[in-house]
Amino acid sequence: MKWVEKIGHQLFEPNRNQSPGELIFFKIFELFILIYTIKYAWEWGIYTQLRNTEVVLPLGIANYIDISILFQWNLALINAAVITLLSSIAFTRMGYKWFYMVVMVLLHIQYVARFSQGEIPHSMNLIGMSVLCFAVGAIWFPGKKQMPRFVLGSIIFFIGLGYTSAFIAKLIGTGIYWFDGRHLWLWISEKSIDVYSSLGYYEPNILQELALTYLPVASIILLIGWFTELIGFTMWWKKLRPFTTTLLIGMHFGITLTMNIRFDSFVMQLILIGFPWYLLIDKYVKTTPKWVERLM
Amino acid sequence: MTEKESKRGMKVIGVVLLVFAILVAPHEGEFWPFSIYPMFSQAGNPWTRAMILDVTDYEDEEIWKQRTIDDFIGDPVAVRSYGVDGIDLANFVSKTDRWTQERREALRSMFDLKVFNEKKWLVVKAKGHLAGQDSVAVDIIPWVLLTDEGTELNPNINRSEYMEVDKP
Repeated sequence: MKWVEKIGHQLFEPNRNQSPGELIFFKIFELFILIYTIKYAWEWGIYTQLRNTEVVLPLGIANYIDISILFQWNLALINAAVITLLSSIAFTRMGYKWFYMVVMVLLHIQYVARFSQGEIPHSMNLIGMSVLCFAVGAIWFPGKKQMPRFVLGSIIFFIGLGYTSAFIAKLIGTGIYWFDGRHLWLWISEKSIDVYSSLGYYEPNILQELALTYLPVASIILLIGWFTELIGFTMWWKKLRPFTTTLLIGMHFGITLTMNIRFDSFVMQLILIGFPWYLLIDKYVKTTPKWVERLM
Repeated sequence: MTEKESKRGMKVIGVVLLVFAILVAPHEGEFWPFSIYPMFSQAGNPWTRAMILDVTDYEDEEIWKQRTIDDFIGDPVAVRSYGVDGIDLANFVSKTDRWTQERREALRSMFDLKVFNEKKWLVVKAKGHLAGQDSVAVDIIPWVLLTDEGTELNPNINRSEYMEVDKP
């Protein structure tokens, strides 16, 4: 068996029978993605409509089309409404199987319109990658037997890849001394200005004070975070997944405490996808409810 | 899912990875939702952010003086309470290299223009860098003044700095 096939086995578990718990969990996860898709579509749409007047940084498709067109005529809000409609129909499986792909494209347009002001946030990337995996799964792996396995397996693949990629980017961008605690000092002071700007005041927390006072503490914080990113890809292996996920969640809390960057949907998605919740559901549910069957 | 479908699943992931690479390669690692997650990859570099200070009660000669994070004047304006994302404001200010009239007005219209009634809001750049081996220095540079009537640029800064054509 080739190594690619071995990874496929870990991600898709072809020899495991499908259980009611797996289908129920899949629909709960899909509902989570649906809610965040709609939430982001409207948040980005409303902000774009109210605040954006100039394109400062063209991202993605905005490099090729004038995205400022979405700043006018309520187009960002209309786009949010279309995303809401199509993703809801896709969730119920009543529409065409390419609906999720259209949602993906429209959500990309909504993102590049909203974030044309210079910021490149990453806290929404997991939701975006999940919509993409649903889009690909709905087209090439339709049906209740294939779609849940492909969608969840591919999301886990891209999450693991993303963390390890972040490790490599740091190694290439800075080198082996990336974890020098003084770098954390710079980031803490940089984020303190963002907090001043957003809230009008800033008070360092205990962890920030410790890191700013003791250089080795700052270096250890960075080293632990960097190592956790390195092993991100180990979540491809089913048995390692809960442990890797726990470390990644801990790392995100660490980033929130040291740099005031929140990852709400990121962490919630890690909690959902990193642990075998279907086993817990299977303990209490022995047959798949009819409404879940209908939504598959 | 069968063995065959599992193999096909990996092939499809391979195709998505190829699309991923084709899209992020010419776009500095970013084509949402694809990303190589380059944030924080270049450590130790000086940084520039921005904030707004309410300087209504200060004279002009005090307003335009460069200061530091420890002795700046005016109260920081909580931009979130006006519905503006602080990080957006910072990026708007730090990534704008041509401060045209339109760009300055765009900054003012980020906020409800009624808020400037009699008020003077100073947009400042905050520039941070490592000072020696054991501290971080943050300079506060007055950049644009927002008032009810319009915008003013810092008279102490050369106009060419507001119109950088070849900014890297």
